[in-house]
Amino acid sequence: MPARRPDAEPDPEDALSFPAEGLADLQEYDAPAEVDAAFVTQRRIAVGYCLVFLLVTFAIPVLTVSSGWWTDARVVGGMSPSFLMAAVVLYVFFVGLGVAAATLADGAEDRMLGRAGGSDREDGA
Amino acid sequence: MSAQTFALLLVLGAIGTLVSITARARGRATTLDFYLAGRRVGTFTNACAICGDYFSAASFLGVAAAVYASGLDGVWYAAGFAAGFVPVLLFVAAPLRRFGRISLPDFLGERFGSERVRVTAVVVVQLVVLAYLVPQAVGSGITWELLVGRGFGGLSPYATGVVISAALIAALVVIGGMRGTTWNQALQFVLLLTVLLWLATLVFSAGFSYPSGVEEASSSALLVPAQDGASLTTVPDRLRPDREAIFGTPGARYGGLGQFALLTTLMLGTAGLPHIMNRYFTSPTGRSTRFTTVWVLGLAGAFYALAVMLGTAARVTIAEHADDTAWLAELTIDGVLRVPEHALLALGRIHAGVPGLGLVATAAFAAMISTIGGLLLAAAASWGHDVYERYLNPRATQRQAIRAGQLAVGVASAVAAVIALALEPARLSGNFPSVVALLVTWAFALAGSALSPVLMLSIWWRGTSVNGAIAGMSVGTVTVLVALAIGLLRGGDTDDLGSLLLAPTLLAAPLATLTTVVVSRTDGPPPGLTDVWLRMHGTAADRQVERFARLAARQGRGT
Repeated sequence: MPARRPDAEPDPEDALSFPAEGLADLQEYDAPAEVDAAFVTQRRIAVGYCLVFLLVTFAIPVLTVSSGWWTDARVVGGMSPSFLMAAVVLYVFFVGLGVAAATLADGAEDRMLGRAGGSDREDGA
Repeated sequence: MSAQTFALLLVLGAIGTLVSITARARGRATTLDFYLAGRRVGTFTNACAICGDYFSAASFLGVAAAVYASGLDGVWYAAGFAAGFVPVLLFVAAPLRRFGRISLPDFLGERFGSERVRVTAVVVVQLVVLAYLVPQAVGSGITWELLVGRGFGGLSPYATGVVISAALIAALVVIGGMRGTTWNQALQFVLLLTVLLWLATLVFSAGFSYPSGVEEASSSALLVPAQDGASLTTVPDRLRPDREAIFGTPGARYGGLGQFALLTTLMLGTAGLPHIMNRYFTSPTGRSTRFTTVWVLGLAGAFYALAVMLGTAARVTIAEHADDTAWLAELTIDGVLRVPEHALLALGRIHAGVPGLGLVATAAFAAMISTIGGLLLAAAASWGHDVYERYLNPRATQRQAIRAGQLAVGVASAVAAVIALALEPARLSGNFPSVVALLVTWAFALAGSALSPVLMLSIWWRGTSVNGAIAGMSVGTVTVLVALAIGLLRGGDTDDLGSLLLAPTLLAAPLATLTTVVVSRTDGPPPGLTDVWLRMHGTAADRQVERFARLAARQGRGT
């Protein structure tokens, strides 16, 4: 079953986003079974990366409460591991995590969806 | 106000107006253009616009001020604000865009095929927008009071600032719509980041060393102005009650529970902020929203890391200059600023004189203008599209619908201005920046408790039902409002429980989630779920847009 049947009433928003001419030739479809499989994979990726994100982010206040070394030691000048993490390292971690998660999610979608339709292959892409 | 500052403010206003008018001239007069810039905003442009939308005065002046006043505990604001985009990337951005609606209430209403869900979401969104809009209006009024120092037309300086900023920003949004606002927000973010980089360059050129600065600031107990306003006092360490708080170690502001509560509130709140989520609808595809968010994470990281560093630099530099600088002596008590939000402004003036102060102040105005613009558009989309077009005039023409949105912008701006004027800044007695930050945190709490849980469940759990969504939003909203009321009645965040009640997402979000799940178990999911799932989690629409873009490019090369 296609995502939007060819005989279905066109979405007025899509009609505003695309020029009307040639629209029918550009239709792409997803099969529900493929979308279900992709959904499960995407959920696994999102939950997995979220656990890493929560573990690292909440480790800072947990260590702050539980470890004297974390707040009292000095690693660079007057910066404790806690200060260095919250003021600098955490932002680098967020970007790294974001790049990895986005790349993996895009890759999973590329592999799992769009194989049945005409899509890019006929464009030579 | 110096001539330089006035000139800079004029230049900023002129640029904003020109951009809006230019963008307006290029755009078509459809609701899709007015609310969503035709869904053609590029990845990096949208990332800059999201940053401009997100970084309000609370981020620009507030984070550096929080670090200046509370040391490491102030850094939690920066970490929480930046962290908020990770859940957005993982759970919200791509499916939200792929479903392809105009606003958050529109998304939820269509997802559940329920007008009751839509109306409940409209009410919650308006509460969040107002909670966010009022502190911005208060901030712009008092920044005008500090910077310009005089009123016009018989109004006080504060009232003049509120009225002028409300009128100016409403006019820019009405003229430019989302397209003009997008370019304004992107340019204003570039201005904010440039000013921070410029300040950092000046600070390091003057010999400041970040590690040594932290060491110097932490060499003695953290001092803050006492209640009498004439002397300094130490701050007790909330984590180790037997000692005084120090700049470089935690405990000056929050106990253990308070840190978790603030971090959770800021992290979860971002995914429910209507003006930020609306920006994702402007991207051409769901896929492009992922890397838009990655860019946002990078830009936000750079922005907040710089703000934290400059807050530290201000702590050291201002103390060094306070004794031999007349204007600084007036702002400080024994080398410590009376109002922490002056930290970046003072740093600008120390290193670059009055023009430096003017540039930082202009950036502060830019932060407020871009955030207010986004909030007004979110209010307009919610009222204009979800209420006017749905209920008041279902047969409205494009022109009428746009007029309704523009009217909503004017009304939302006027309501926020009236509330800001009624707050009587004199009663805030110099604590307004704290009040601004506090009110913004409340907006995050409301968004993170009432909207984020239901939004994520509606995207990732098929079993979410109409009644479950309504119950979840209602319980989240009521829990936050009750917690805030109790927290205020208890006297503020004087202990861990107070901190939790004034940043109640840790309490309210799990309760809203549990309510949604339990109520959804009692009835079934709405019909038509297969089609909803295909739209949210399929990539057919994305591929179609990408394919069309490639064909258009090929045709362009061929002609």
